[in-house]
Amino acid sequence: MEAQKSGEKFVVPIGPQHPALKEPGHFEFTVDGEIVTGASVRLGYVHRGIEKGTEDRTWTQNIYLLERICGICSHVHATAYVLGVEKLAGVSAPPRAQAIRTVTAELERIHSHLLWLGVAAHEGGFDTLFMYSWRDRETVMDLLELISGNRVHYSANVLGGVKFDLDVDKMDAIRRGLDFLEERTHHYMKVVTTDETFLARTRGVGLMTREQAETLGAVGPTARASGVQRDIRIDAPYAAYPDFPVQLITDSGGDLLARFVVRLKELFECYRVIRAILDQIPEGELTTRVPRRIPAGETISRVEAPRGELFYYIKSNGGEKPERIKVRTPSLCNWGTVVSVAVGHKLADMPMLLAGIDPCFSCNDRMVRVNRDQSSQLWSWEDLRQYGIKYYR
Amino acid sequence: MDSQTALQTAEKLLEPYGMEMIRQDDLRLDVLLSPDQLHEAVKALHDARWGYLSAIAGVDHPAPCEDAVASGGIDQEKKGQVEVLYVFCQGAAVLTLRVKVPYTRAELPTVCDVIPSATLYERELMEMFGVEIRGTPVKDRLLLPDEWPEGVYPLRKTTMIGTACSSSKDEV
Repeated sequence: MEAQKSGEKFVVPIGPQHPALKEPGHFEFTVDGEIVTGASVRLGYVHRGIEKGTEDRTWTQNIYLLERICGICSHVHATAYVLGVEKLAGVSAPPRAQAIRTVTAELERIHSHLLWLGVAAHEGGFDTLFMYSWRDRETVMDLLELISGNRVHYSANVLGGVKFDLDVDKMDAIRRGLDFLEERTHHYMKVVTTDETFLARTRGVGLMTREQAETLGAVGPTARASGVQRDIRIDAPYAAYPDFPVQLITDSGGDLLARFVVRLKELFECYRVIRAILDQIPEGELTTRVPRRIPAGETISRVEAPRGELFYYIKSNGGEKPERIKVRTPSLCNWGTVVSVAVGHKLADMPMLLAGIDPCFSCNDRMVRVNRDQSSQLWSWEDLRQYGIKYYR
Repeated sequence: MDSQTALQTAEKLLEPYGMEMIRQDDLRLDVLLSPDQLHEAVKALHDARWGYLSAIAGVDHPAPCEDAVASGGIDQEKKGQVEVLYVFCQGAAVLTLRVKVPYTRAELPTVCDVIPSATLYERELMEMFGVEIRGTPVKDRLLLPDEWPEGVYPLRKTTMIGTACSSSKDEV
């Protein structure tokens, strides 16, 4: 990819192929020497036409299609969808099913936050932290596999309930796993808040005030780390959250450090809520009957994904297939924050800033050609990462 | 502010603009607007700091099939409409501003001057439904491939999956 001269500034293209983001995204940073003066984004490299695809599939088939929008927060997509469809059909899943949905959602949040912790640490060059946190993440992956049979797409939801039950043995296994993870999370909290080398990369970096976060439309932990009090689990509780409320975690810091602290504190909240549900899990059926044709109407379904508010608009024309499904994922909202917050920062901060909003990693490498005064260089994401680490050494 | 008070406040704020207001359920208020009033209404909500823009969703309303067949597809162009929903949320309260534009004059004003984060949603709407957003800061392709043919809007009902792709392949 050719970097272009834009006035007297240079444009550094990043992506679309690189391991920093869940979706291949293309960013262009305009730099003046070391300092980023502008940024833009181009998405759509993995646009799969899922919204259009839903219009050609039955209500049941769509659970599986929509669950595959994301490989990290898969369960939360299916949950938003089934809750919306159940509302249209005028049924609600039995309490035990709602509890199991919520346990799965919180286990998913644990796996997502631990994955992010490792990724963000890796971008800063803290590979020991990365490896420890991913080792510990295996605990929760094993738990998800134990209860659902799958590590990634758990397929917990069906229209009107869930597919699997939690017996006493499985609940005990979850409790043991959580005890281990809680102890580890205390350790991570200590590392990210006291380790001076780590703080040097996070404290005061990527500062976003509450006003900025609101104007830029940030959601989830990214917004809460700037003091925005917004969490769908609390604002509009769904599934089992009305009976097992979670506490709102915010931080007024607004920098990368605050984003670490908020996500780690949310982990403790996950552990607490899962234990509370397991201790008082309602008895009863796992599913209720949902008609094959969903009555005509439209609904809006919102849930709190690990990355923030996930929005579904579902419209039925009374048939076996939906008329329209609109999905707005939390990452879409958070792109805007990267593009704005990047301005004024050093190029060396970009890897951690990008990772700070919790985009996900695929395992490709990425090439960037940087043109400086006619002489060109090839940079991969790895080069940029190393550049960032060396810059701060 | 609880959800009911929030929705009542919204009703008052939007009274000068809305053609019709519908309470879908306890927590949802729909306000039908004409395209000219959209910008003013969004500004009124923003100035009163009512909630936040959660999503912009397009919904296609093609002309009924029998009409389209009778007129040999001409009415399809004339009568089809795109409905655009601007969804605002405050706590559990959900407010939807609904605007309908005909295919023949599919244009809306931008709201980016009031809510900068709307830019990605507006770009998506332009590409997927062919609604021209007047004054939106960036009009570059966001989601569709560079070689995607002009004038093919994938989320319109008349666009069949497969046909748009094959024509774009032909061009390449």
